[in-house]
Amino acid sequence: MVELTLLDWFWLLAFLGLMVASGVLFYRLGKRSQADFFLAGRGLPWWLPASSVYATHTATDTPMWITGIVYQHGLRGIWYAFFSAWCAISAFVSTRIFRRSLAYTQAEWQSLRFSGLGSELLRGWMAGWSVFMNMFVLGWVGIAMGKICNVFFNWPEWVGLIVFSSVCAIYVLAAGYWGVVMADFQQGVIALAVIVITSLWGIAAAGGPSGIVSRLDAMGESWRLNPFAFTGLFTGDFPVAWFITMMVIAIVGGVGMGTSIDWYPEAQRIQSAKTVRDASYAIWAGTILVLLRNSLWAVAILGFYVLYPNIKSAAEYEMGWYRLGFEYLPIGMVGCFFAAILAIHLSTISTHLNLGAVYATRDLYHHYVNPQASEAKLVWVGRFSTFLLLVGSFIYGLMMEDITSWLIFALWIMMAGVWLPNILQVVWWRFNAWGYLASWIANLGMSWLVVWILPHYGLIPEMPDYLQFWALMALGTLIFLPVTYLTPPDDMDHLVKYYIMARPLGWWGPVRQAAIERGLMQPTAQPGSD
Amino acid sequence: MAWIRRKWTPEAAEEWTREDLIACILSPLAYFLLSLGLLHALLLQTWGYFLLILGVLISYAMYVVIDPKLRTISEEFEKKQAKHLEELERIQRWEE
Repeated sequence: MVELTLLDWFWLLAFLGLMVASGVLFYRLGKRSQADFFLAGRGLPWWLPASSVYATHTATDTPMWITGIVYQHGLRGIWYAFFSAWCAISAFVSTRIFRRSLAYTQAEWQSLRFSGLGSELLRGWMAGWSVFMNMFVLGWVGIAMGKICNVFFNWPEWVGLIVFSSVCAIYVLAAGYWGVVMADFQQGVIALAVIVITSLWGIAAAGGPSGIVSRLDAMGESWRLNPFAFTGLFTGDFPVAWFITMMVIAIVGGVGMGTSIDWYPEAQRIQSAKTVRDASYAIWAGTILVLLRNSLWAVAILGFYVLYPNIKSAAEYEMGWYRLGFEYLPIGMVGCFFAAILAIHLSTISTHLNLGAVYATRDLYHHYVNPQASEAKLVWVGRFSTFLLLVGSFIYGLMMEDITSWLIFALWIMMAGVWLPNILQVVWWRFNAWGYLASWIANLGMSWLVVWILPHYGLIPEMPDYLQFWALMALGTLIFLPVTYLTPPDDMDHLVKYYIMARPLGWWGPVRQAAIERGLMQPTAQPGSD
Repeated sequence: MAWIRRKWTPEAAEEWTREDLIACILSPLAYFLLSLGLLHALLLQTWGYFLLILGVLISYAMYVVIDPKLRTISEEFEKKQAKHLEELERIQRWEE
């Protein structure tokens, strides 16, 4: 158990005071309008949303997860975390298109992109799902903090879950996204500095880089130093086929919107950037920080492995990076380390509180319940939604043990069968809301069949996860493609308005032609447009 | 680099062009090299430094290729943003 000294408590309280102060400081800006409460008035320079991207995607469970995969697989485990690379292409394709649409959320973008009843059904569904998902992520990340406090300080799990999320809610309720993004900047700087110090300290404790290499050699495990230590083309637990699948999902996925669960918080950051250019650089820079942080963590975890090579329990070795901090940093630095853990925790909590609230306010309340609501009223609805999400996350967090495996499954199915439709909705004019909805519904059924039911009865063999992905994608296509062609295309006037505003990439020839005929744009050669 | 366009008209910048494609190729490559480079540089392996430097150079090349176009798109779009926002609010409030 870790004992905090007076200096440690000083770091901790100073940090929490700084975060709450940022909420008070930006209270007046946050309450001006819903654009301020949810997007900081769309006026941020690129480095602010970039720091928010980095801070948000550094949560309390992230070092546990990366520690787990690197401890188990060595440096090749780094590719599990490479999914963030979807931002490489997104920064110059889907980010640009989304920023130009001016939509607050992905659900709102879909109502600009699609038309008619299908579009309304889709917006309601996506908004409801997003409110639920944000509450779930809040519970998940919150209980991870509860477990960390329990392991290292012997506090009951509810303390870590409830106390810190409640402190965070003060500045999110007061200043909305202004509070989130300003606190994220400070949290990002603090977290990055402490991650660098702790990881380098851990590497030094393991004998330095050459010590780690020579000890792995002596243990006969130098394969752990090779990020490309594949187990065969299709065989073993780390085949080339898995790696290629991961790269395709990550990199090609950047053309679409929603191909990664991280798209949804990123969409808010994209829209809060001052210009299209700021949005592109924010997404690109925030993500490279995430990837570099992963590399740093990976080497530190190799250090942890050579210090403690025989841990069998995943729950135990997943705490590896935290142990490097709590057990090896000098007295007085432990409080600083814990403040950094709080920084990464609060940045994720604040993002999902505000993000869940924007879907509840903008897509549900404002769009369906009270379209004539004043700006002041919408800000208050945003605050009330934030509070409800907070309370809901406590309930989820406390029952998380029972439902996590189900919800991880839900996340997986959301990704696998809807991956291609998430790209098609961006690049193909003929793809419509019915096709998109059909892919969701088909995916719900197919995933149960492919992952559990058919293998259970021996009708198909159990497939590795990368094959499940391709199978679900192919089966989903057999459903959503006919549905798309059997239902009418979106209204051409609606598509033309969207095209002129967002200028999407891909197969938009007929819409472009219609825009030219309406005199809304000049005919110019555009290779590959139709 | 004559084949890379440095000056853009607003109309030309609206189109998807070779510069976008080049940025989309260089960008994941830069991510890949920087991630791998730091990993190996931290283990004091020489080729880690080499990959890291290559990653920085490719990131810079990506910036040089895409930045003039992004600037033009941004400047042009900002002029139209207020009108687009009005349209967005009209759809949001169901004012047909």
